Amino acid sequence: MPPDTIEILLVDDSPSDLDLIRDALAACPCQGRVHTVPDGEEAIAFLHRAGVYASAARPDLIILDLNLPRKDGRVVLADFKSEPTLRSIPVVVFTTSHSRKDIARSYELGANCYVSKPGSLEDFRKAVQAIQQFWLSVACLPD
Amino acid sequence: MSANEVDILLVEDNQDDMDLALHSLRRENLANKIFVARDGEEALEFLFCRGAFAQRSFDHPPKIVLLDLKLPKVDGIEVLRQVKGDTRTKLIPVVILTSSKEERDVVDGYNLGANSYIQKPVDFEQFRSTVKQAGLYWLVTNQPPPTNGKGHALEQKS
Amino acid sequence: MTDTATSTASEAECPASDSTLRVLLVEDSPVDAELILLELRRGGFEVSSDLVQTIEDFTRQVRAHPYQMILADYNLPQWRGIEALGVLRREGLDIPLILVSGALGDVTAVECIKQGATDYVLKDSLARLPVAVRRALQEKRLRDQRQKGEKDLARKVEELARSNRDLEQFAYVASHDLQEPLRMVAAYTQLLAERYRGKLDADADKFIGYAVEGAVRMQTLILDLLAFSRVGHNGNGGKTSDCNRVVEEALLNLKAAIDESGAVVTQDALPLIVAEQAQLIQVFQNLIGNAIKFRGKEALVIRVSAERQGTQWLFEVADNGIGIAPEYHEVIFTIFQRLHARGEYPGNGVGLAICKKIVEHYGGRIWLKSEPGQGCTFHFTLPATPADEKDIHASRHN
Repeated sequence: MPPDTIEILLVDDSPSDLDLIRDALAACPCQGRVHTVPDGEEAIAFLHRAGVYASAARPDLIILDLNLPRKDGRVVLADFKSEPTLRSIPVVVFTTSHSRKDIARSYELGANCYVSKPGSLEDFRKAVQAIQQFWLSVACLPD
Repeated sequence: MSANEVDILLVEDNQDDMDLALHSLRRENLANKIFVARDGEEALEFLFCRGAFAQRSFDHPPKIVLLDLKLPKVDGIEVLRQVKGDTRTKLIPVVILTSSKEERDVVDGYNLGANSYIQKPVDFEQFRSTVKQAGLYWLVTNQPPPTNGKGHALEQKS
Repeated sequence: MTDTATSTASEAECPASDSTLRVLLVEDSPVDAELILLELRRGGFEVSSDLVQTIEDFTRQVRAHPYQMILADYNLPQWRGIEALGVLRREGLDIPLILVSGALGDVTAVECIKQGATDYVLKDSLARLPVAVRRALQEKRLRDQRQKGEKDLARKVEELARSNRDLEQFAYVASHDLQEPLRMVAAYTQLLAERYRGKLDADADKFIGYAVEGAVRMQTLILDLLAFSRVGHNGNGGKTSDCNRVVEEALLNLKAAIDESGAVVTQDALPLIVAEQAQLIQVFQNLIGNAIKFRGKEALVIRVSAERQGTQWLFEVADNGIGIAPEYHEVIFTIFQRLHARGEYPGNGVGLAICKKIVEHYGGRIWLKSEPGQGCTFHFTLPATPADEKDIHASRHN
């Protein structure tokens, strides 16, 4: 993969979680550039480069919470995973829920993987770093 | 070994790559059971519970499939297409692990529903490290889709 | 319309005592009516009765008064006594009706019973009447009891279902909506501790420490409560689980703790059990996890084994840890019951409560043998699978 900056779209409505995630991502030298949106509707607009997001970067990786106001993570998944030009973008569902139903639904809608947000600070950081490590250093992302 | 309890399906025809991958995975003690399919046809029979694997059940899929693209009989892309095209198997996480870094292959892979795409490093040590990290991510960090056989999404892996 | 005849009309109007049989007679012959009442009294009944002849009067009477027995002639001037059954059905009344009639003919008699008459008694065999009435009343009593029982059961089932739904919803909310604010508190107090440790005064460090500890404890408490509440709600559908595989999964989940403690776990060949795999994993994981947690100074050895005992399997998880004094052997299975100060050993005290709940859900028992300083052996039983060809599923993998 060419060493351009990797664009990460972070979709989460919790400012405290957003800060934690950004903080954990920044700790690694191999970080990408992080864009954040607080709900599903903005996420969809960002991906389709609509409205204020007309010149938004195309994300190389999406980290997506499920429970979002307005349109939730499931709606976002259903939207862009059925869109031929967008569906190849890998999505990590990163959310509080451990429930089987949510996990199954996310995979059904095309999520590439599912990580439950751990409760402790240390484990939370480790999870974010594991996500970053794998997707930015190990995996190949589609152009 | 009961073919229903496989954690990892490794689809690889190259003996060296297979040995190295197995060694790396076993060393980390990440998975109890790893099954190796030597070509695309065997991989499909395994995953679709037919032929020599007729006693396998769709309720006990592997937690992850590591799939090479260049395979005899049926190639990796075709395997991917069939697995992701069938409701009985499409949720199984498939990670492409191949020497190709052709952009075409990467995009096709993701478009066909591959959960991830990894290029095999040429370097021995890096290959080991890559397989180890992939294993850790997909078996420990990731939550696989729940199955009828043994979905235990509430389990906290320590 | 004709008015109801008889002097006995007033009897039915008065509140009758409990032992009085309230009878509605459908009869056009007053003589026969008297004979019938006489026979009932001779048979030991105290009777209060009304007499009707037409279907309209019958209908009016059954609507207006509660009767325990209807005695009807088959041949009446304008209708068949059996039509009374239709009226009862329409009015939704379940009152035994006995035909008291002249010669009936077997076919007709059977037909009447089929239509719902409880019995029939011939007028020239009236001596049979009290017995027939007693039997009919007894059947009605049993019927009523059964219906009441069914209604009670249905109500209880509905209450239970509602209670379960409430619990599931509570559990979901607890798991979901509580986790996030909890994480906010836990993570950010920890961040505070990281960033400002030593830079504020000693009290501040202590306060932050308590806040962090409280938040973290809340998190695990909620997850533990959830795990406990979910036991027994998962249908099993009769699936069997291979306990060898179950223990392997449990050990995989405990990998970090096992590595850290250097514990050696040996596992005998274990059977197949009809139980949900996830729940069996919880049982073994909790028992083995406890063994690791409460280890002593010597190298920890844990042994998992099973022995067939008749229709059950007796499982054993034995360790050489610190042991538990006999006076606590009952109480440790209580949820949130701990035996040690929080600082000495971690955990909320829910693991054994969960084990007990799961084991008992499948009809088994769990207990332990232990003395302080002499390790613990936990025993629990689970029903053997009925179609067991081989006693022990002995395949070892890899």
